[in-house]
Amino acid sequence: MSEPFELPTELNIYSALETRDALLAWVTEQMSKSQDGLEVSARNVEEVDGSGLQLLAALANMEHAWRLVDPSDAFTEACRTMGVAQWLENRPLKNASGA
Amino acid sequence: MSNDADLDFIAQAMPAFISEAAEQIEAIETLLLELEDQPDNRELLDSLFRCAHTVKGSAGIFGLNRVVEFTHHVETLLDKMRDGGIALNPDISTLLLQCNDQIKFLVDTAADESADTAEQKDARADLVIRLRALTEDAAAPLSEPASVPASSADQGGGLRVWTISARFGPETFRNGMDPLSIARYLGTLGAVKSIRCGTDTVPPLVNLNPESCYLSFFMELETTANREDIEGAFSFVIDDCELDVVAPETPDQMLARAIEEMPETPRLGDMLVSVGAVTQDKLQQVLSTQQHTPGMPAVAKTKIGDLLESQAGVAPEVVAAALGKQQKIREAAPSEERYIRVQADRLDAVINLLGELVIAGAGATLLARETRQVALIEANLHMNSLIEEIRNGTLGLRMVPVGETFSRFRRVVRDTAASLGKEVNFEIVGGDAELDKSMVEKIADPLMHLVRNSLDHGLEPPQERMAAGKPPAGTLVLSARHETGAILIRIEDDGRGINKERVLQRAWNRGLIEQGVVPSDDAINMMIFEPGFSTAEQVTNLSGRGVGMDVVRRNIEALRGSLRLNSKPGKGLQVDIRLPLTLAIIDGFLVGVGKSKFVLPLESVVEVIESGGQHIKVDASGRHCVELRGQVLPVVRLRTLYSVESSLPDRVSVVVVNSPRGKYGIEVEVLLGQNQTVIKPLGRLFKTLRGISGSSILGSGEVALILDVVSLAELVTGSETASVVG
Repeated sequence: MSEPFELPTELNIYSALETRDALLAWVTEQMSKSQDGLEVSARNVEEVDGSGLQLLAALANMEHAWRLVDPSDAFTEACRTMGVAQWLENRPLKNASGA
Repeated sequence: MSNDADLDFIAQAMPAFISEAAEQIEAIETLLLELEDQPDNRELLDSLFRCAHTVKGSAGIFGLNRVVEFTHHVETLLDKMRDGGIALNPDISTLLLQCNDQIKFLVDTAADESADTAEQKDARADLVIRLRALTEDAAAPLSEPASVPASSADQGGGLRVWTISARFGPETFRNGMDPLSIARYLGTLGAVKSIRCGTDTVPPLVNLNPESCYLSFFMELETTANREDIEGAFSFVIDDCELDVVAPETPDQMLARAIEEMPETPRLGDMLVSVGAVTQDKLQQVLSTQQHTPGMPAVAKTKIGDLLESQAGVAPEVVAAALGKQQKIREAAPSEERYIRVQADRLDAVINLLGELVIAGAGATLLARETRQVALIEANLHMNSLIEEIRNGTLGLRMVPVGETFSRFRRVVRDTAASLGKEVNFEIVGGDAELDKSMVEKIADPLMHLVRNSLDHGLEPPQERMAAGKPPAGTLVLSARHETGAILIRIEDDGRGINKERVLQRAWNRGLIEQGVVPSDDAINMMIFEPGFSTAEQVTNLSGRGVGMDVVRRNIEALRGSLRLNSKPGKGLQVDIRLPLTLAIIDGFLVGVGKSKFVLPLESVVEVIESGGQHIKVDASGRHCVELRGQVLPVVRLRTLYSVESSLPDRVSVVVVNSPRGKYGIEVEVLLGQNQTVIKPLGRLFKTLRGISGSSILGSGEVALILDVVSLAELVTGSETASVVG
């Protein structure tokens, strides 16, 4: 499995455009390389707002399996508050394509 | 680092906050005054609360703690009033008005702490004490004014589980709001039993606009807070958010509320089905009964609501709510209005350019005429008519209803009357008449002065009024209406009118006119606008210092407006102010004398007649008379008045114009036709020039002087030189 995607320190509206582009480029690249599930790391995240969580919701609404790793305290708190605590569960990665 | 960005953002957004807060503060004042008249109007009270809440909320964003702290006390009182704990009386109303002044002061001086003097602080502390005295008396002793508004109303407010579902609008992030912080804030109100974020509506990453918000959440919150507290968390997103806060209510109440909060559902049956008040099958059954009622004409069929009540067992409460919602949807649909806030100087820049365009257009037309090419002339005419439409449209953008300014006077009238011990009914008529925004701003002060003057000098104290056989309460009417290219603002009172003898005596004493000289009645009345004139026996702190009325007249004349008094001694006074609708461009009538060009405002031109020419004798100011259909028409010869050099033509034209003083003629040599005239102010050197109000540049590059029909009328009719009686 390749390196996880590192979410930025400030996962908020100020960086939303940038992060979305980077994340999308990374997802596209990963999918061309392998069919493995994706890992997104939130270890560096210090600030997060609704738009940051929305980015991950958008990722979740793509057809690829993904998993959150190393969530920081700030990120964990945000997920719990906003009602997306299911991302924090350490789920096994299914292969989305079923191959 | 983001801190700097925040500070920058706040500094940039500050002027917008101040201007919006100023609007809210103005609205609070208006609402308070309206509420005095209709103390039971719940809607007014709600709007009032919202205004105060908005000021407090946005001040909080900008960290203006003094505003937040103070407004909080006001809000607490308003909240108590909404609960019915306190009823509005004149004292409370006065207190709230004073508090509003204080809020205004705090907002105005937001950027400048030093303006908050010890005196102001004392005044504020005093207001807070009075506010708290009221709220603490009314509430049970446990109320704590400085905490989060204590729960009240809304069914007692015990610990209950509320379900909150919120769907945020796409603009949420762009408006600087964040669903996450709202969820976090709700968490502080009580215990979050469950929260689920609705992420299904978020588009996949490929199609995502990361700055648009697609989120929603569903929360179960156990709290003692009431509905308002919970909805308050959404107050800054409420316009762009579908919010549904449901209390643990009885099933019927819950249904009624669900219907109330449905976004748009036109059919009664569908509404009831979608909230589960009736099943689809049952509805179909009822509908078919309705259709099959035999022998009944369509109009007399039983109403579906009644059928649902009687046959499907739907509670009348639920049906009523659904019907109410339908009604609301129908009413709300057409009245939706949209506004764009535009900076005034941008608009001014456009209007300036438009002025240049008008001049350039006139130049092009002139050139086209010289070529004598019909097609080119046609094209030019078409272009000019389009320019005219743009002109009218753009100037229309600057038009605002004068009513906003008028309603500001309610407060002045109320306070002034109270301090003078007079009773006044203040009426506003025609507040929707529109006037140029800059004009509205400039007219406010002179109007204020005239209104105060009417209150102070015009209206009598109640005893005096009753002695004169009038009702004890005086009437003051402020009205506005359009009148051929101008707006007429009238201040009318039913007071004592102008005391002519006293005015005359004072004018003599002050040396404004020579002893023994008696001018016409009109001229005597107008004396009150002379510098250094004041008849009030006692100088009050409102008026009577002898400054002001002359300034009023100067200000109005500076706007190319005119003043006229109509005094009925013992019965009242009417002050008429006529103002042009706009300051920038007028339709002009171009005339020529020798090589000079003059522009007359087209709306004042009545007709043009031919005249005998130069052999008619005139006086030193160029005045003479002609006969017009059996009446004597005073005429002024511009050539003589302004010493224009020209050869003497045999025939001249007399342009007959209308003025507030009546018709008169202006003798000119050439008529050059209609012309859109962009008004340029005269330089200071020419300000003293009588009869000229401005200048304009013609398409050919020549300068034309704009004649001021009103002041020219004074010259022509000679009323400014007094006649000796006796």
